Amino acid sequence: MRKWIGAMAAMGMLALGGLVAPAAQATPGAVTADPKVIRVGATQAMDSMNPFLAVRLVSSSIHRWMYGYLAVPDSKTLQPSPDLAESWTTSPDGLTWTFKIRQAQWSDGQPVTAADAAWTFNKMITDDGAKTANGPAVEDFASVSASGQDLTIKLKTPQASMLDNPVPIMPKHVWEKVGDIAKYEANVYPAVTSGPYIAVEHKKDQYVKLKANPDYWRGAAKIDELQVIFYDNPAAAIVGLKKGDIDLIGRLAPPDFDALKGDDNIVQWNTEGRRATYLQVNHGATTSDNKPIGDGHPALKDPRVRQALHYALDKQKLVDEVQNGLAKPADGSIVPPMYKDFFWQASGDQKVGFDVAKANKLLDDAGYKKGADGIRTMPDGSRKLQFRFSIHTDTPIEEKLAEYLTGWFKELGITLTTKRLDSSKFTEETGTTALFDIAISGWSVNPDPEEVLATHLCSRRPTASGEGGGTESFYCDPQYEALYQQQLKELDRPKRADIIKKMQERLYTDAPVIALYYPNNLEGYRKDRIAKVTSIPEDKGMLYGGSGYWPFYTLEAVSKDGAAAEDEGSNTGVIVGVGAAVLILLGAGFFLSRRRKTVADDRE
Amino acid sequence: MTIAPPAADAIAEEPARRGLLRYAVSKVGGALLSIAMVIVATFFAFRLLPGDPVRALAQGRNMTPEQLDLERRRLGLDKSLPEQFLEFVGQTVRFDLGTSYEYKRPVLDLIGERIGSTLLLTGTALVMAVSLGIWQGARAGWKPGSRFDKFSTGVSLVLWSVPTFWLGLLLLMVFAAGIGPIPGIFPTRGIESVDAPDGFGYVLDVAKHMVLPCLTMVAVVYAQYLLVMRSSVLDEVGQDYVTTARAKGLKDDEIRRRHAVPNALLPTVTLVFMRIGFVVGGAVTVEAIFSWPGLGQLFYEAIRVPDFTLMQGTFLLITVSVIVMNTLADVIYHVLDPRVRSA
Repeated sequence: MRKWIGAMAAMGMLALGGLVAPAAQATPGAVTADPKVIRVGATQAMDSMNPFLAVRLVSSSIHRWMYGYLAVPDSKTLQPSPDLAESWTTSPDGLTWTFKIRQAQWSDGQPVTAADAAWTFNKMITDDGAKTANGPAVEDFASVSASGQDLTIKLKTPQASMLDNPVPIMPKHVWEKVGDIAKYEANVYPAVTSGPYIAVEHKKDQYVKLKANPDYWRGAAKIDELQVIFYDNPAAAIVGLKKGDIDLIGRLAPPDFDALKGDDNIVQWNTEGRRATYLQVNHGATTSDNKPIGDGHPALKDPRVRQALHYALDKQKLVDEVQNGLAKPADGSIVPPMYKDFFWQASGDQKVGFDVAKANKLLDDAGYKKGADGIRTMPDGSRKLQFRFSIHTDTPIEEKLAEYLTGWFKELGITLTTKRLDSSKFTEETGTTALFDIAISGWSVNPDPEEVLATHLCSRRPTASGEGGGTESFYCDPQYEALYQQQLKELDRPKRADIIKKMQERLYTDAPVIALYYPNNLEGYRKDRIAKVTSIPEDKGMLYGGSGYWPFYTLEAVSKDGAAAEDEGSNTGVIVGVGAAVLILLGAGFFLSRRRKTVADDRE
Repeated sequence: MTIAPPAADAIAEEPARRGLLRYAVSKVGGALLSIAMVIVATFFAFRLLPGDPVRALAQGRNMTPEQLDLERRRLGLDKSLPEQFLEFVGQTVRFDLGTSYEYKRPVLDLIGERIGSTLLLTGTALVMAVSLGIWQGARAGWKPGSRFDKFSTGVSLVLWSVPTFWLGLLLLMVFAAGIGPIPGIFPTRGIESVDAPDGFGYVLDVAKHMVLPCLTMVAVVYAQYLLVMRSSVLDEVGQDYVTTARAKGLKDDEIRRRHAVPNALLPTVTLVFMRIGFVVGGAVTVEAIFSWPGLGQLFYEAIRVPDFTLMQGTFLLITVSVIVMNTLADVIYHVLDPRVRSA
């Protein structure tokens, strides 16, 4: 027992002693560290380095910094602009696209050709295992072929969103050797890439290290190394940013963003976001073969009731109280205002403002009479207007939202009860079994809004046995369907935008979903480390949260200024370390003296 | 898991050892039965959890109905429950824990990558908590009501009642970020620095990263060892042999350490072995606060999806290690305490 304690003490000393040494070493390290390194924090770890499999946002971001695409959003307008494809043409029927792949190099020196792109797409078409990450992107592809630098893609049906294709072009000469792509981890470094960065190291659940690609066709990035460091919780990441363990972090919730206030070295980056938060209303959910499903309240089938609910929402209040003012109230639908070309908002008579009297009148006129208890009933008196509001467990923002909604609906004579569900149950009840009345929802929209529009199509409804699916509303509206098909074929951007706006207008007036607000994109970075970063779009756009590699390609590091501050830091480290060492020595001395004493006692 | 049969003549020669062997075999048999039941229970328990893993994985992503169905087929979710069960049992007995839904990689590999860091953290914390608890508990129980007793029991109980998450974040904010005159000397996350040095420097780097998570874990749990130790020492204080030892003129400290503590150690040993079983499971909360790349975190993520195979795998690992450790505790008890043998 005695020896054991002694050994423990020795181990403890070793461990504590370690605190001193690295602190002491840090000073020379920091001064001689010439390479310009920027560290990005992420509150999510990589799920896979294989772009065919990776689905998490952090993974697709990192892959966007590593690989080239056919086209990327322009940094100013967000319109598709050349990337690996330097130009393209479309056949008059819109079914054949021909891309000219630019003369560029893979990071191992091999030339980039159309064969690389063709291999990537064909792999996804022929191998189900390669569909995991971006399967829908090739679903409409009939065939893909390559000749030199020319890539020809034949489509089954016209697809105007073609240039927003999210598939990274992979080097054929490296990836064709992979056996089973569905099981391939892609942990070979340095990775062979054609984008601004090359992954050189990945420690699972810890970090990814990327080096600037010196042969990048746009020119090498201005920093030498980009590190992505994973945090499990946002609070720790905020501490990391304040301390300088990381230099930038995106995707912050309002309270975490507010926690950055008052730090002179940190820039709070608050811009329009790419997300819409909306209510999903069970307006009579049906399956893909048009049979009713779920237990939605019959009153919600009535568009006048949905409209009345819409009038009862004080969206500005929600923004102020629920989002700490860091959002924009929604007078439109599912496309947020940052996408200027496609954003639609209601005006004039169409606009639904906060007007409880009007809401009450709508319900009165529609025959929903108030009972003695002040609660309205169906016109035939069969049921009271008592709705459930489905939210996720442990989400303070949604809890608050539920409180406000309950209060407002009460003024209409409608009872709202909150139903808290864990996320998988929530997804099931609001997306498959339709066991809900009103649910909270939201969607992050890409520069081309095609995919969010598709989530409200008839075909996205599940079958009765729960197959298929992917709907955000159980919506199935002939007018909306027709507009969707029309915009798919429309290759003229302004004309297509008009159609897409009509689709949003339809969603706004028919109200299967009611947009509440567009949360801001909240990020923070250290200005003592990052000298310059270009957002996307360049005018007050996003950094980490944005699509494409612009912000991270254009990063510039502050050179050497930080050295003085770091010196000071490690000095305090040394002082504390020395203090700890003295304490340990004292403790050890005490132990030893006691030990000697007891040994002497034993001998007596 | 096979038990090598000892040579027959050895058994004949030593009846005592034979008794132990028979005891051990019966315990191991019981453990195997428990494990078999756990395998069955694991499968069905996790199937009772609500939610469609494919829909959950597709959340917020653009997935066409065709692709969702393809994913269901790939994960074997289109098969009937009995079919899935047979497949699961067949794989498990061959030590194949299946492929994770989310990571698309063998569960065994995922566990293998993380078990080291978990064992390092929870193991160190366990050793420290046990030593601290036994030491303070023995002293506190020896002189109940003394200032030391009141102080150490009080402090440990306060820490025991503190929520782990709160304490962890507090330590993180004070000692990793630094507040006022306190410098933030400890890292804010993980098990190692991004540019960690090699060799001995690396060991020191990891040690530095371990301080705060370890401290959090020890602070929150050491009270249980302290209390168990304290009460069993308390039982020994009035015993005749203690009086005898005093009469022999032994120093009080010596009586405690040489006579009372060894006798009082048994309940603590049981507790320790039970806790060792849980060490494998890691500490979900602590790992989450300090971004420690361990098993607890993996399990937590698996539940969120829900990633059935990953949950089954980690859960099986944890339950099996608890069962194994309990069995071991039973056997060791038998060796340590002659009284158990006759019972």
